Amino acid sequence: MSRTESAEPNHAQSTTPSTPRGSFLSRLFSHQESGLVIVIILMMCVLTIYGHFNQSIGKRNLEIPNDARIELLDAQNNAHEVGTIAKRNIAQYRVTHGDDVRDYPASTIDRFDATTNTLYAIDKQNRFLKKSNISLVLKDASFFAIMAVGMTGVIILAGIDLSVGSIYAFSAIVGAMALSALPEGAGWYISLPVGMLTCMTVGTLCGLANGSMSVGLGVHPFVITLGMMAVLRGLTIVIPQQIFNTQSIGGFPDSIMTGTIKAELFGVHPVPVFVMIFVAIVGWFVLSRTVFGRRIYAIGGNETAAQYAGIPVGKVKILVYTITGTLCGLSAFLYLGYFGAGETNAGNAYELQVIAATVIGGASLMGGRGTAIGAVLGAIIIQLINNAMVIFEIDQSYNQIVMGAAIIIAVVIDQTKQRVQARRG
Amino acid sequence: MSSDVQQAQPVLIADNISKAFGITQALSNVSVSFLPGEVHALMGENGAGKSTLGKVIAGLHKQDTGTVTLEGRELIPGSLDDAFAAGVRIVHQELAQCPNLSVAENLCLHDIPKKGFTVDFDEMRRRAENLVHQLDPSIDVARPLGELSPGRRQICQIAASLDKDEHGNNAAKVIVFDEPTSSLSLTEASTLMDITRDLAARGLTIIYVSHRMSEIFTCCDRVSVLRDGKFVATNIVKEIDEPTLVEQMIGRRVSTPGAKHESNPEEKAIEALVGDANSEEPEYDKDPILVVRDLNSPGKLHSIALDLYPGEILGVGGLVGAGRSELFDAIFGIDSRASGSILVEGVEIAGKGTKAAIDAGVGLGYVPEDRRNQGLFFNLGIDENILAPIMPDICGGFGMRRLEDELRRVQARVDKFRIKTATLRDTKPSELSGGNQQKLLIARWMSDRTKVLLLDEPTRGIDVGTKTEIYKLINEAADLGLAILLVSSEMPELLALSDRILVMGEGVIKGELKGAEMTQTNILTLATDESNTPTKTAAPA
Repeated sequence: MSRTESAEPNHAQSTTPSTPRGSFLSRLFSHQESGLVIVIILMMCVLTIYGHFNQSIGKRNLEIPNDARIELLDAQNNAHEVGTIAKRNIAQYRVTHGDDVRDYPASTIDRFDATTNTLYAIDKQNRFLKKSNISLVLKDASFFAIMAVGMTGVIILAGIDLSVGSIYAFSAIVGAMALSALPEGAGWYISLPVGMLTCMTVGTLCGLANGSMSVGLGVHPFVITLGMMAVLRGLTIVIPQQIFNTQSIGGFPDSIMTGTIKAELFGVHPVPVFVMIFVAIVGWFVLSRTVFGRRIYAIGGNETAAQYAGIPVGKVKILVYTITGTLCGLSAFLYLGYFGAGETNAGNAYELQVIAATVIGGASLMGGRGTAIGAVLGAIIIQLINNAMVIFEIDQSYNQIVMGAAIIIAVVIDQTKQRVQARRG
Repeated sequence: MSSDVQQAQPVLIADNISKAFGITQALSNVSVSFLPGEVHALMGENGAGKSTLGKVIAGLHKQDTGTVTLEGRELIPGSLDDAFAAGVRIVHQELAQCPNLSVAENLCLHDIPKKGFTVDFDEMRRRAENLVHQLDPSIDVARPLGELSPGRRQICQIAASLDKDEHGNNAAKVIVFDEPTSSLSLTEASTLMDITRDLAARGLTIIYVSHRMSEIFTCCDRVSVLRDGKFVATNIVKEIDEPTLVEQMIGRRVSTPGAKHESNPEEKAIEALVGDANSEEPEYDKDPILVVRDLNSPGKLHSIALDLYPGEILGVGGLVGAGRSELFDAIFGIDSRASGSILVEGVEIAGKGTKAAIDAGVGLGYVPEDRRNQGLFFNLGIDENILAPIMPDICGGFGMRRLEDELRRVQARVDKFRIKTATLRDTKPSELSGGNQQKLLIARWMSDRTKVLLLDEPTRGIDVGTKTEIYKLINEAADLGLAILLVSSEMPELLALSDRILVMGEGVIKGELKGAEMTQTNILTLATDESNTPTKTAAPA
């Protein structure tokens, strides 16, 4: 980041009248990512406003000390015992603990449980803008946003990888077999490297197979990865069936779940989100700042020119598919740690979600265009749409219709923007 | 300049170069030497081999025989890397750049500067600016290349060719410019020629492949002329005039029409068949069948107007890139951006697409230039290849094919055109010879319902015998009243077949030639004449 900023004044000097640069604002808006951020902010505003007027109603334990005395008072401030007064006649609840006396109006109280001496308050919250919901959206997005970063590289190459969902499931199953073999009480310093290495190695090998087959055999990656999608999904189903006669492998050490991946922080489980942010930053850095990254763009822009410029086109392609596989493995590892079991139907239809995230994030299937940050923002937009369906209480079956329409609209807007910019250029 | 260059030692010698593509001999025993600091033009008609020679020198093509020697060292044939390392560069359109990357990245693509793991953007910008700003200081190297105008893109490509290798060695010594101005506006072209002169003044040798006469006289020191793949002469530009150069390009064939068929058997064949087709002024007692008025297509065609009469063969002459195939595309409704008026027997077909053009009532047919990519279906049989345009009209109910009826029609067409094929249904076009493939394509469009036929290079790449047959078929069809628009880059063919000739250049019709005016010299003079060229508006950079 600091590099571009330090280069900026220098750049302003060399800019000539023939190449007018817009104001700061228009430059900000011309960025692919800023458009996505604006969309996300707008969606969050709408959902927050809706969520404010349609609050979710829950109950909250008021955490009353066990030795406190709770009295039920009627409108005339007479105390009653539980069972001697109808709930509608209670005006307030009085809690006495030593010298501390507190009154709670009946309208704020959901229920009093006499057997455990617990008082539950009615808890009204913004349906959208609450910690649990936001972390849910981000957590759900993180699993396929990580894969979308790899997919961005593939799509910039003008390639495609349909096997990401299957690689994810296969890595998860193999990783689950390794983790379930560990003793119950194994520490994180054993379970973390075992799970991570197993999942990521399996993913890497699958990606390597995709890349080297499509480059080596000269077959379009659509075909190779379509085949791999089916083969890996089949293996994912067959292996646990043959060995364990089950469709779900669990029983991992706790250290891999609540100990690390599902560690709690401020009441939420943010580890997958942290990993997503980390992968996005590394992806951005590799694509925009390293020679390898720029070579990916060059190949996607004009493969022949790249060849004539001495770029090892085949090697770069294989590496990009391999990295995508690795990221699928990483994502599968997070899934295992978070949910505590590997299932054979994990990541079903993830390839479509991942491709959609990449495309909404501004990547062009024609190649040469796309960013890692855009892909992650695209994944978040997809999850926000999913979340909106829940908050608006629309039947889940409408999800696919809305999602499909959103993808088409996003791409049409992006194309129009491109065309307008080209005309101005 | 010219007297200086005569005394210098040649920097690059192409010696005895021969190169064949399939059966076509593109170059035979061509030897040319190039001096340091000169702009040396390679000139010739289409297909004379000038471009091929440029590519052999740059290592893009591998010559069959002969050597390219740079400063006494023989270059590895067909090795772009070796030529690059030695200091020979080529600027040409097919090696386009990556439009999605910045100018700086394009310029440094072969050797991106690094700082540890990351790209050194400052160094890249500095290097790119050093290269580009020698030629055009107003180019912002941070912009995506695709946003630049074609002229500036060309300048960037030239700048890239000036680059040294990673050790700062092997600076460019010889640069081949392959048709550098073909996609540029006039102002851009003149900027480019200034740059060319500037580079030569710094001691670089520029090999300038072009067919634009005015450019040769503006910016070149010497010009070597090729004809039919053979070396004709190297001239000092100051000591030669345009007619002499044209004569060298066309060779012995430039002379009076009566004497033009002295020794070439191919021309004799045409002459024998055609007779004196063009000796008398054709008379038009009928109304024109095809009337084109004010036909425009952005960047391709400007205000085209023409009339075509039944039974007439109207030739369209010009050089590659003159807009002849583009004209056909526009008339046939393939070019959706074309606008204007196209009347076939009073029926307007402009803007209605290809379906309107081949409609039974209209009856246009189009034999495109590239039979492999634009013409035949190589996965289908002979029958479907012939019947493709009329299939919807001859089928039965529910679109069911009537195979018997189809076979009868195909058989008739195959017999008439004498297409040599094993079967009618199972044989694929790839099993036919080139000449039979071409006859197959022509047979598709020469049906009873075709009234106007557009023929684009109908005899490209086929043998003399089949050519003769095709000439005969074309003439017979015209005698029966078919109106034909003919594009041909083979001058004798165009002259012998056409009743009138329109000459095109840069998307406009530059003139019409009739009767005795129809000579190669006149066609070439009109085609290279730039006085009536519309000024293209340069795209805003």
